[in-house]
Amino acid sequence: MAKKKRVGIFSFTCDEGCSVFLIEIFNKKLISWLDKIDLVYFLSVKDKREIKDFDVSLVEGVISTKKEKEEIEKIRKNSKVLIAMGSCAISGQPSGQRNNFNEDQLSEIKDDLKEYDYLPKFLSVKEVISVDDEVVGCPIDKGKFIKVFEKYIYA
Amino acid sequence: MHKGDLNISIDKLSKIEGHADLDIKVRNGKVEDVHLKVMENRRFFEQAVKGKPFEGVPQLVSRICGTCSIAHLTCCIEAVEKTLGIEPSPQTLLMRKLTMYSLMIRDHALHLYYFVLPDIFGLDSVLDIKDKEIIHQSLHVKEAGNNLSNLIAGRAVHAPFEVIGGFSNLPDKKKISSVISELKSVRKYVLGLADIFYNCNWKLERKTNFVALTTSDFSFLEGVIKSSSGSLIQEKDFWNHLQNVVVPYSKASGFEFEGKEYVVGALSRMNLNKENIHKDTKKDAKKYLDVFPSNNIYHNNLAQAVEILHSIDHSIEILTNNTFKKEEVKKPPKLDGEGVGVIEAPRGTLYYWLAICDGKIRYVNLVIPTAQNLLSMREDIRDMVSCLLEEGKSEEEIKKEAEKIIRAYDPCMSCASHFLEINWI
Repeated sequence: MAKKKRVGIFSFTCDEGCSVFLIEIFNKKLISWLDKIDLVYFLSVKDKREIKDFDVSLVEGVISTKKEKEEIEKIRKNSKVLIAMGSCAISGQPSGQRNNFNEDQLSEIKDDLKEYDYLPKFLSVKEVISVDDEVVGCPIDKGKFIKVFEKYIYA
Repeated sequence: MHKGDLNISIDKLSKIEGHADLDIKVRNGKVEDVHLKVMENRRFFEQAVKGKPFEGVPQLVSRICGTCSIAHLTCCIEAVEKTLGIEPSPQTLLMRKLTMYSLMIRDHALHLYYFVLPDIFGLDSVLDIKDKEIIHQSLHVKEAGNNLSNLIAGRAVHAPFEVIGGFSNLPDKKKISSVISELKSVRKYVLGLADIFYNCNWKLERKTNFVALTTSDFSFLEGVIKSSSGSLIQEKDFWNHLQNVVVPYSKASGFEFEGKEYVVGALSRMNLNKENIHKDTKKDAKKYLDVFPSNNIYHNNLAQAVEILHSIDHSIEILTNNTFKKEEVKKPPKLDGEGVGVIEAPRGTLYYWLAICDGKIRYVNLVIPTAQNLLSMREDIRDMVSCLLEEGKSEEEIKKEAEKIIRAYDPCMSCASHFLEINWI
């Protein structure tokens, strides 16, 4: 039997709607996928965590802090295939809405921005690292996700 | 017992919604400090909605939280409607109840099967459970909720059909009977799940005040806010009973109710309103309902399981006894005002206070369930850790128990990082 693909699911700054929706996609698909994959990193489901040797990484959210930037770079280095999930990871919105704030709105959040090491702009995942594939939507489109994900796990 | 000093830290708690860290500081064998830190990076919704046309705001605040997006959507819609004088039709209210039930089924099932069951079985993940039947059951229960969301609201996450003034689409008649049969088919699994939590001997009792919006049909939407201390409060007045408390080192703040910490969520609802649970649930879950009222925070899990069954039973009744007809989405008679929406989200009372001026949002203030439970969670951890230190338990054991308590509250950190620091002008 072929070796199972090591899959990690990572959430950066966002509402985690894509991974929640992914868990709904699991309802019908998880059992058959588990023949092909080992879910090695997914904090919603398990605690064991080591960022190492992923065949497929799924990433949602925007990169809002220096710490997150370092994390996504580490995940990239340790992933053969990295898929950006959803509109935050692909285009930086809606979670990066502060990038479009006017002066009044910015002045209200300036203390927060200073206190917590936020980046000058929130970045999409694609702005920070190269991605191998993407699934659009807010949350991800179910049909497209299955198509893209299965392309890599059945490869 | 431990005489010395300990620093216990958990970086990124797993199997909860969102990101949180926990630090416990022990000095001379005594718990000196508990920091439950909401580490969710902020996305500044409070500022983002300002000046936006009111029509788009419910879908925007839905993005505060993927897990309970339907709760934010529904509560914000209610607040907009109260602000602008829209009276939803009886059919809209029925469909909203169904939408909320679909959320409760999915969300509670996710929490109980994926987050809590591994602790019961002493495993890391639900996927490690040997009895694969439980995994199958979890997927079926969640899918039944998911399909109910699809039928009524168009999708489980960021539901597109639920709008201000009504629903933009009618449920597909051809699919109603299959959704009813699916809901019926998972009842036995939910009863099995309730039985697991009924038989679980975890116990942490502490006298506290339970607060919930109580509704006459346990539908989470409209009613009176009650507390176990005897208060009876109209939805619009809820804020007057709350005090905002800053939690150091955290990206969220906590709340006190009438000057004291309190608890919201399924346990509170069950303690304050179990007489209004659906009759079919009462019949089959009597044994479990008899547990309430309870001061044991772990009974929040059992309360959630009972709420799944109630959501299934009332949904079956609504879907069986009603036909849904095309209705116009109601338009607001005015474009200015202030209003409050309060509903019961899966994790407890959710409050939206809106001001709209010339059709644009002037401000929004929201109170999130997890922020209301934050102080109580912290005190429970403090009590429990003190006991475990007396018993001489190891750091690893203390960590595990602390995580179990936090999970019992079912906190949602994505939500908790959002609240308005109001500048009273």
